[in-house]
Amino acid sequence: MNIIELRGITKKFDGLVAVNNLSLNVPQGSIYGFIGPNGSGKTTTIRMIMNILYPDSGQIFLFGSEHYGARMENVGYLPEERGLYKKMKVRDLLFFHGELKNGKNLAHEIDYWLKKMDLSAWAEKRAETLSKGMSQKLQFIATIIDRPQLIILDEPFSGLDPVNAEVIRTAVLELQKSGATIIFSTHDMNMAEMMCDYIFMIYKGNKVLDGTLESIKDAYGADTIRIHSEKGMEALAGIPGIAAVNDFGQMQEIRMEAGADVHKILSGIIARTKVSRFEVTKPSLNDIFIRIARPVKSEEYA
Amino acid sequence: MRKIFILARREYRTAVRTKSFIIGLVLAPVFMGGSLIAFALLKDKVDLTEKHIAVIDHSGIMSDYLLQAVEERNKTEIFNQEKGEQVKPVYRLEIIPADTEDLQQLRIGLSERVRSKQIHAFIEIGPEILHPGKDAEKSRIKYYSENSAVDEVRDWFSWPVNNRIRQLRVEELNLTEETMKDLFTWINLDGLGLITVDKKTGDIQDARQISIGDTIIVPYIIVFLMFMMVLMSAIPLLTAVMEEKMNRIAEVLLGSVTPFEFMMGKILGGIAVSLTASAVYVAGGIITARQLDAGNMIPYDVLPWFFIFMVLNIVMVGSGMAALGSACNDNKDASALQFPAMIPVILPLFVMMPVIQEPLSSFSTGLSMFPPFTPMLMLLRLATPVTIPLWQPVAGLAGVLVFTILSVWAGGRIFRTCILLQGQKPKLVNLVRYVVRG
Repeated sequence: MNIIELRGITKKFDGLVAVNNLSLNVPQGSIYGFIGPNGSGKTTTIRMIMNILYPDSGQIFLFGSEHYGARMENVGYLPEERGLYKKMKVRDLLFFHGELKNGKNLAHEIDYWLKKMDLSAWAEKRAETLSKGMSQKLQFIATIIDRPQLIILDEPFSGLDPVNAEVIRTAVLELQKSGATIIFSTHDMNMAEMMCDYIFMIYKGNKVLDGTLESIKDAYGADTIRIHSEKGMEALAGIPGIAAVNDFGQMQEIRMEAGADVHKILSGIIARTKVSRFEVTKPSLNDIFIRIARPVKSEEYA
Repeated sequence: MRKIFILARREYRTAVRTKSFIIGLVLAPVFMGGSLIAFALLKDKVDLTEKHIAVIDHSGIMSDYLLQAVEERNKTEIFNQEKGEQVKPVYRLEIIPADTEDLQQLRIGLSERVRSKQIHAFIEIGPEILHPGKDAEKSRIKYYSENSAVDEVRDWFSWPVNNRIRQLRVEELNLTEETMKDLFTWINLDGLGLITVDKKTGDIQDARQISIGDTIIVPYIIVFLMFMMVLMSAIPLLTAVMEEKMNRIAEVLLGSVTPFEFMMGKILGGIAVSLTASAVYVAGGIITARQLDAGNMIPYDVLPWFFIFMVLNIVMVGSGMAALGSACNDNKDASALQFPAMIPVILPLFVMMPVIQEPLSSFSTGLSMFPPFTPMLMLLRLATPVTIPLWQPVAGLAGVLVFTILSVWAGGRIFRTCILLQGQKPKLVNLVRYVVRG
C-alpha cells in the first residue's frame, strides 16, 4: 500500500513553476529520500503533502484517501526552518506538541525519547538554554512524540555534528522498524545512500530521479572510474573516452563517454604515470546529483 | 476545537505567568486611580502657616467689618473641635491707609512684600462698590497674589466682602433680617433619574439623584476598561504573530494545526487573558465602590454587555492584528502597521464626550451602529443614565457578530497565505488580493 500518492501536482508562485506535474508513490514502511539542489521544489512538495500549501492542480492521496482539508493526525512534520517557544520548559514543550498531535502515553514517551537523545537532564530547563544540536534533537522528539505513521523530515541532519546525526539516524531507523513510513530531504548524499530505500530527485520543479538506489545506479551503468596515480589530474588531460573528471585531490573520479573502452583509457594513463589504484564502478549518488544539477560544468572538461 | 483550546491554554498560561501581566494588573488601576487617590489624600493636607493679608479700602466701609470677620473666623473656623487640632490657617489682616499720593508706588511696594513672603496677598477695594457707577474700575475688588486664580484666601474673602455689601444695601431698603435671608436663598434644580416599578413585586423604586459620576465618570471608566483590554490582548497579536513567523515556530505548529486553528488559538488565549484581567478590575471596582458607599453608581445591567462586546471586539480586532502580523517580515513592517491598525480602536475615544452628552442623537446612534465602533460606543451609550431602546444594542450586536465573522474569515485567508510567505511587503493591495483569492 502507498502511504502517499501524488498525481500530477503542479504549484506555481507568481507565474514561476515551483513543482511541475509531479507524480510519486511512497510505499508504506519505506524510507524515501528527497534530494535536489536548493530551490528545486523539495520543500514546496513537502508543504503540499502537509497541506500547508495547496497544489494548483493534481491530487494528493494520504493513507489511501484524497487529501483535502486538514489531515494532520498520524503525520509528524519537521520543517527545514524550525523554531520552538524558547521560554517553555523542555518537558512542557513536548507535552504541548504531543497534546496537539493527540499523542498517547505522553509522559512515558517523553521520558523515553529524552533519555534516548541524552536530554533527560534538560527536561526542566527552558528551551532557550539548549545548544543548537540539543534544540534540533528536541525538535525531532516534538515531531515524533505521538509515534506517527508518516514522518516527514525536511533537512533533519543539517547543522548536526556526526555524533548527533548518528543519534537521529538511529532513531529514524527505529521508527521505521516499528512501522513508520519516513520521508526526508537532505543534501547529505552519503546519509541518503546509507538510509534510503527509495530516492526521489527533483530539479527545477521536475522529477528527474525516482526509484531504489540500485535501480537509479543501474540506469547510469558502470561508467565511472576511480583512480589514484602519481601525477593525478595532469595524467588525465586529453585521454580519449573521458567525458568529465571530479578531482578529489588524492583521487580522481572519471566519467567515461558512452561506449568508451576502459582498457584504452587505462593504458593511456599507465603510459603517462604510475597507477596505484584503478576501479570501475557505478556512479555515486553524489556524482549522479552533480551530473544532473551541474551538467554544463561537467561537460566543460571534454 | 480541541487544538484551539490547547493553543489558547498555552497562550494564556504564558501570558498570565509573565511579570508584566501581574505588575500590569496591579499598576494599571493604580495609574488610573492614582491621581484621584493622591487628590483625596492630599486635599486634607492644608498649609497651616499664618496668612497675612493687606487691605487697601478705598470705599471706607469694609476695613472694620473685615477685621471683625477675620477675628471671628480665627476663633470659630480654624479648629476642629472633635479632633482637637487646627485644620485651617490663621488669617492676619493689615489695613493700609488709602490716602496716599502715589497709589501705584504703594501697589509695587506691596507686591514686593508678597514676593518676599512677608504677606500672602493684598486686596484693593474700589470706592464705589456699594453702588457701582458708570466707571467699572471704581467698583472692582482686586486680589493680588502670586497664585490668585487658585487661592483659598481669595475664595474666603468673597463671602465677608459680599455679606457686608449686601448688609448695607438691605439696611438702605429698610428690610428686616428675616426677609433679607429669603431674598437671597438660591434653589438648585436637583438632577434625578426616573421612578421605576419592579415588574415582579410591584415595588416602586424612587428616583435616584444623578451625579456627574453617573453621567460621565462611570461610562468613561467602562469604555476605557474595554480599550485597555483590547490593548492588552488584541493589539500585541500583531507582533506576537510576526515573531512566531520570523522565529519559524509557525511552520512547526502548522504541521499539527491548521492556520485557522493557529490564529483562533492565539485570539482565544488573548480573550482568556482579558477576561481574567477585566474580571479582576470589575470585581475590584465593585468592592471599592461599595466600600466608598458608591455602590449604586455601578451599572450592573451594563456589565453583561461589557463582557459580550469586549469578547467580540477582541476577536474582531485580534483577527485583523494576527492577519497583519502574519504579513510582516520584521519589526519595521510591524511598527509601520501598528498605528493605522489601531485607528478603529482609538477613534471612538475621540467622540466619547459628544456621545455622553447626547446619547440619543443621530450622530451617537449612527456611529454606535457602525460595527468596528459598536463595542465601545454602544457600551458607552448603555452606560449613561439615558435609556437606549433595546433594539439598538441588539441590532448593534448582530452587526458586530456579522462583522466579526467577516473579519475572522478575511483574517484567516490572509493569515493562511502570509504565515509562510517570506520577503513580501505587507502592502494593502497584496492583502486585499490574499483575501479575494485565498
